[in-house]
Amino acid sequence: MSRKKLSQWTQQLVFVGPTTIFFVLIVMIPFLLGIYYSMTNWNGVSRDLEFVGLRNYAHIFTADPDFRNAFWFTVRFTIVAVILTNLLGFFLAYFLMKPLKSKNVLRTVFFMPNMIGGLLLGFIWQFIFVRGFAAIGQATGISFFNLPWLGNESTAFWGIVIVFVWQYAGYLMVIYIASLGNVSKDVLESASIDGAKPGQVLWKIIIPLVMPAVTVCLFLTLSWSFKMFDLNLALTNGGPFNATRSVALDIYREAFTNSRLGLGTAKAVIFFAIVAIITALQVRATKNREVEA
Amino acid sequence: MLKRKLMLLPALLLTAAAALSGCSQGGSTGGAGEKVINIYQGKVEISNQLAEMKQVYEESHPGVTLNIQSVGGGTDYAASLKSRFSAGAQPDIFTIGGFQERDLWLEYLEDLSDQPWVQNMDQVAKDPMSANGKLYGFPLNYEGYGFLYNKDIFKEAGITEIPKTLSELEQAAQKIEEAGYTPFVNAYAEWWVLGNHNVNVPFARQDDPEAFLKSLDDSNADIRSNEIFAGWLDLLDLTLKYGNANPLTTDYNTQMSTFANGQAAMTQQGNWVQPTLDGINPDLNVGMMPMPISEDPEANDKLFVGVPTYWVINKNSPVKKEAKELLEWMATSPEGQEFLTTKFQFIPAFNNIQGDPEGIGKLGADLTQYIEEGKVLNWYFQQLPIGTPQDYANLMQSYIAGRDTRDEMLKNLQTSYDNLKVR
Repeated sequence: MSRKKLSQWTQQLVFVGPTTIFFVLIVMIPFLLGIYYSMTNWNGVSRDLEFVGLRNYAHIFTADPDFRNAFWFTVRFTIVAVILTNLLGFFLAYFLMKPLKSKNVLRTVFFMPNMIGGLLLGFIWQFIFVRGFAAIGQATGISFFNLPWLGNESTAFWGIVIVFVWQYAGYLMVIYIASLGNVSKDVLESASIDGAKPGQVLWKIIIPLVMPAVTVCLFLTLSWSFKMFDLNLALTNGGPFNATRSVALDIYREAFTNSRLGLGTAKAVIFFAIVAIITALQVRATKNREVEA
Repeated sequence: MLKRKLMLLPALLLTAAAALSGCSQGGSTGGAGEKVINIYQGKVEISNQLAEMKQVYEESHPGVTLNIQSVGGGTDYAASLKSRFSAGAQPDIFTIGGFQERDLWLEYLEDLSDQPWVQNMDQVAKDPMSANGKLYGFPLNYEGYGFLYNKDIFKEAGITEIPKTLSELEQAAQKIEEAGYTPFVNAYAEWWVLGNHNVNVPFARQDDPEAFLKSLDDSNADIRSNEIFAGWLDLLDLTLKYGNANPLTTDYNTQMSTFANGQAAMTQQGNWVQPTLDGINPDLNVGMMPMPISEDPEANDKLFVGVPTYWVINKNSPVKKEAKELLEWMATSPEGQEFLTTKFQFIPAFNNIQGDPEGIGKLGADLTQYIEEGKVLNWYFQQLPIGTPQDYANLMQSYIAGRDTRDEMLKNLQTSYDNLKVR
């Protein structure tokens, strides 16, 4: 081996090696172990466990209405949350690109919710919904605040959506701002000289040019909302009547509350496959729409 | 070239440091000759008293240190205990419930059958912790529940006899309503009020609850056609008809303040709320009465009594001997017994120890009388498949909200049981 080649190998080893070790240790091995456990009847405590083949998977599809309900809730939530978070994030970014005096303050303010953990946010918002909204409703009589917030299925659903969008729109805003800043001034200028209206500039020029950011943001929100757990746990804990139980929460309940680790892991494996397929499809679809300036 | 190689060193050092810091878990042995008993327990309400007990015990037992950790309240004790075991940090003594949890943890439990305090345990306390003819747990206390009732409101409404049938209960509720009070305050937002205590009623009232559960396991029993479940739903409907508004958003705190302030006459709770009631209204004239589900006064006249937690010893613990001594001290020495009765304010689950009337309060006194007369039924919710109570609470809330009919709910109870019994 030549000296040059050796040095290249050393570089790879130094820079990629440690990451690879940890990736294998804390991602790959647990993942493979998980697949194994999903085919056992492990209860989370016992040291001996029985290999049961695909029985857990069969059980999930035949005898477990909870998983189906949780999955349906997660899908509905994801669709709504992805659309709203991206719309809000994009328009916040779009307006904060304008020459405003309070621009930097506002950017910080909108990004702030992202700095607080989901559990804490959940408990704070639970208070706001249950006590705060009720108090505002009593004082003003506006019917929106007098709804039984978190008390029935639809308000609980929209409650989670509101907090999720509020939490993550700021993060997406930062990505969109970075991307909008990269849109070349020349292109925009020549467009306006050619007589394009602001709406046309937005739709025909800016959006196609920020598609790479859209790809990233869609991917992030898709996986965040699919995997939502802490917010769900703190805000509604799956209630009322299991109506807002996300798949992640259902997996946790199955494994730890019901003491069926094997079954819970099987659910997690199914969930992994579905999320992987959906996000892969999404990345491919939006990648095709990216254009070069 | 040399420069590049020099950069390798710090990178490797960092990696090694990160790898090493991950595995620095210490053993449980303290200083020279010192024995440490690690206790992991789920009753946060006695954590201060346990700290006091630690002091007393360590003074009289030199060389032994108690390391007590209390987890509960807002956190999920069962889940945290499991993660402790999988992390390899097994406690020497920990607390679990009977029946299903006994089976879950069985392979870790030390046989305690030969301990001196076992002879003073009643059968109702032994059953949940017995397996293969052996006994595995130290019962911390008895707890019991039924309807709490406000004696002053009952008097004012002209109710002289405790209602022991469904129709008597309805008449009483009508009288209370006429007197201007809310008959029932229902905390149906709390999953355990429904999924543990309320749903235990129809299971415990079966002629042979064990056989009934067994036949559910074998898919030979049908909840929908069971008369006792129909009677239980009549009672649930009655509490809703004469109950407070918004039972599904009424939590434990609201329930307690409404009841203790004398706005409502009855509520479903247990003797463990006595300190809470005392905190809100020390003069509350309160008693405990049965939950009738039929027209048979004798069958209805029962309270539901169980041992909520047992202390168990880890079979693999290096300080098993010392742990057993501690349990023996709690059950047999005057100092230990004082903690069980006066300090913890418990109803002891040993028939040779008398509860402290001052400590257990009016509810404890009523309960003790039922226990002594043998008019008690066990806590069979501990015998339902793990996770069932939580699920049942959701299904019942859905019924209370009017989303399901009676028949749909009973069907759901059966489906849920059939799902969760698969292990």
